[in-house]
Formats: sequence, structure tokens, C-alpha cells
Amino acid sequence: MSDEKVDIVIVEDDPSDAELIARVFRKHNMVNNIVVLKDGAEALDFFFGSRATDQPKVVLLDLKLPKVNGIEVLQRLKSDERTKNVPVVVLSSSAEDHDIKDAYKYGVNSYVTKPIRFEEFASAVSELRMYWLLLNRPVEGQTPVPAARRS
Amino acid sequence: MIVADETQTITEPADLRERLVTLEETQRAILNVLEDMNEERTRLNETQIALMNILEDVEVERVKAEQARALMEAVNRELEAFSYSVSHDLRAPLRAISGFAQAVVEDYSPRLDDEGKRFLGLIQDNAHRMGQLIDDLLTFSRLGRQQLMETQIDLGALAQGVFDEVVAQSPGRKIQFAARSVPPALGDKAMIRQVLTNLLSNAIKFTRSRREAVIEFGHVVRRDQGAYYVKDDGVGFDMQYVNKLFGVFQRLHSMTEFEGTGVGLAIVYRIITRHGGRVWAEGEMDKGAAFYFTLPEG
Repeated sequence: MSDEKVDIVIVEDDPSDAELIARVFRKHNMVNNIVVLKDGAEALDFFFGSRATDQPKVVLLDLKLPKVNGIEVLQRLKSDERTKNVPVVVLSSSAEDHDIKDAYKYGVNSYVTKPIRFEEFASAVSELRMYWLLLNRPVEGQTPVPAARRS
Repeated sequence: MIVADETQTITEPADLRERLVTLEETQRAILNVLEDMNEERTRLNETQIALMNILEDVEVERVKAEQARALMEAVNRELEAFSYSVSHDLRAPLRAISGFAQAVVEDYSPRLDDEGKRFLGLIQDNAHRMGQLIDDLLTFSRLGRQQLMETQIDLGALAQGVFDEVVAQSPGRKIQFAARSVPPALGDKAMIRQVLTNLLSNAIKFTRSRREAVIEFGHVVRRDQGAYYVKDDGVGFDMQYVNKLFGVFQRLHSMTEFEGTGVGLAIVYRIITRHGGRVWAEGEMDKGAAFYFTLPEG
């Protein structure tokens, strides 16, 4: 069991939302590589195109995306052998979002509401049944706090 | 046909004549009956045709009603999608405003003087207020379109439950609350809960200046009509503005005196009206206020 770094892939078309999410992670000293994709087409290319890698990742997926919408990206991810085990957390503007229910039908693992709070994200991700690890870099003098359970 | 009977013999011609007359009368009677039956049959036919026509008309009306209902449902769905979309689209830039104001406070605090920090606080407060407004407007617009799910409601218990929830958000307040026992009502429980939430929140808010506030929920009969009420001994209001109370965005206090979006009472009004009830208020400056509403009996 190595300390494999997990990439955080944020699929979000609103640049402010994306920036604020990345900021939450940085403020909590997470050192994972963060990738931001701005629409569904970029997402499909990232997961299935020439850039696709086996690098472990967790995906934060906004459902309202231009070009290819979030639900379609989700369907593609969950129906392909290569990507179906990638944990996906849906990004939603409100808990009442009926898109969340649709997303669960397609096998999304969890959701967080925007603006995201680190604790909610950590708890959403810690519910995932897949082995993963989010890395923290400790602030001087502090001992590193695991961002979520290790399996 | 004369049947020769063994016990009887055809004797005189008078006998025969009598028999003939009886026969003719019988024949006439039968013909009359047949004629009547024909008439009856014609009448029955006409009735049947009339009934078929009525059924056809009823069917046409039913189809029209069905189409009208389907149209209304389609319009409602469109409106729901529209307001949902609007509220989401409005929330996105609001997140950015709040989020980046917070980021400035977090990252540039040492470089900001008190005024700077105060400005940023105001930016965040207003963004929060706008978020509240969006939520309230969405609730308000949804209210006009939702189906009422009617059940019997124990309003006293509901009021106590709502009060406990709302008061928990203002710890440290001393409030004497009484939820009197009241007759059951018929209504949509979620909506009536919203009514009580808004009225009790207001009561709690506007009694802030009292060391120990007194708030009461009960039922009263006035002019033969039973009405539920929420009473408080807070800042009250001037009765000359009573008609403004239930309008959308209508407020009787400035933001510095009391926070609020001005939609809460409009929501109460809409819900009670949809239940076929009435809402009204009574108040006196600095003495308190009472909000009354009627509901169908449970």
C-alpha cells in the first residue's frame, strides 16, 4: 500500500466556483494535483482521449456543463470498464437539486453543495468504498491530519 | 273466433251479436294498446337519442377539462423550471461575491484597516441577504403552484415543535411561550408549518427588546368564526400600515432595526389564502402584535 497521490479532477464551467473549490483544498494544505476541466467535452477527452492515464483520481463533477452535460459525462464514466471505479462526487448549488437524484441513478458516489466546505468534502470522500488517499502537507509545528480514512 | 263450447250452444242471433261486439271492442282495445306501445317505443327511442347526446356532450366537456388540466400542468412545470433555473443562475455570481470577499479577508487581513474589513463584511452581509431573498422568492413562487396535500393537523403540537426549533437558533433569549390547545384543522402540513415558522420567527425577532418576551399561540372565536393566532408583546406596529404588512417586499422597519426580506408574511398570506382562509393582523406601537388566520375545520 503505497502513498499514492490521488489527482483531484474538478469539472466545473464557472471559473469562480472552480477557483474557490481549489482554494478550499489549498487552504487545508492538500498537496494533491488539481486538474480543472471547464466543460463536458474536455472531461471526456481527459478520461478517454489521448491524455487519459491510470493515475488514481477523484472527480468533482458539476452537472450543468456546456457542450456535454454532467449526466452524460457521468454515464460515460460509469459504463466504461476503465473508469467505472473512479469515485465521483457531484457538485450542486443546492441540496434540493433534482439533478442529484438523477446522478445517483447513474451511480454517483456522493455530493457536496457549493460553496463547498472542506469537512463536507472530506466526509463525502471518506464514504467512498474505494481505496484512496488525500494528502495533507502539515503546517510547521503540526502533525499531519489525514484528510480522510485510509482503507 | 267463436269457440264452440260443448256446454254452450250458439242459440239466438242476439247472443252472436253480443259476442261480435265484445270481439270488436277487444280488437279495438288491442289496437289501442298497440298504438300506445308504438308511441312509447318512439318516445323511448327519442329519450335514448337524447341521452346519447347528453353523454356525448359530457364526454366533450370532460375532454376539454382534461386538456385544460394538462395545459395548466405544463405551464406549472415550465414556471417551476424557469424559477429553478433563475434561482440557480442568480446564486452562482452570489457565491463568487461571497467567496472572494471572504478570500480577501483571509489573505489580506494584515493589509486591511478597520474600514476595509468593515466594507468586506458589508459585501458578505448583502450577498447573504440576497441569497435569502432568492430562497424566499423561490418558496413564494412555488406556493402558488403546489398541490395541497390535506391532512388533519394538530396545530398546538405543531406550533410547539416549530417554536422549539426556531428559538434554538437564538440561544440566550428569555421567552415565555404558551401553545394553547386548539381545535384540529385541515390543511397541508408542510405549508402550515411554514406559516407557523414565519409567524413565530417574527414574534421572536420583534420581541428582541424585551427582557422576557411573551409569545402565545391559540384559538379564538370572533363573530362566529374560529381563528388561530400568534401573539407577542414586542415592538408592534402602527395600525395605519396594516395593509402593507402582507405585501411582497413590504417592510415596516429599516434593515438596521430588524433584518428580513419582507417576503415572510406574503408567504403566510399566500398559503392561508390557498387553503381558503383569511389572515389579518392587529398591533399597537410598542405594545405588541397579533396575527390571526383561519383554516378549514379538521
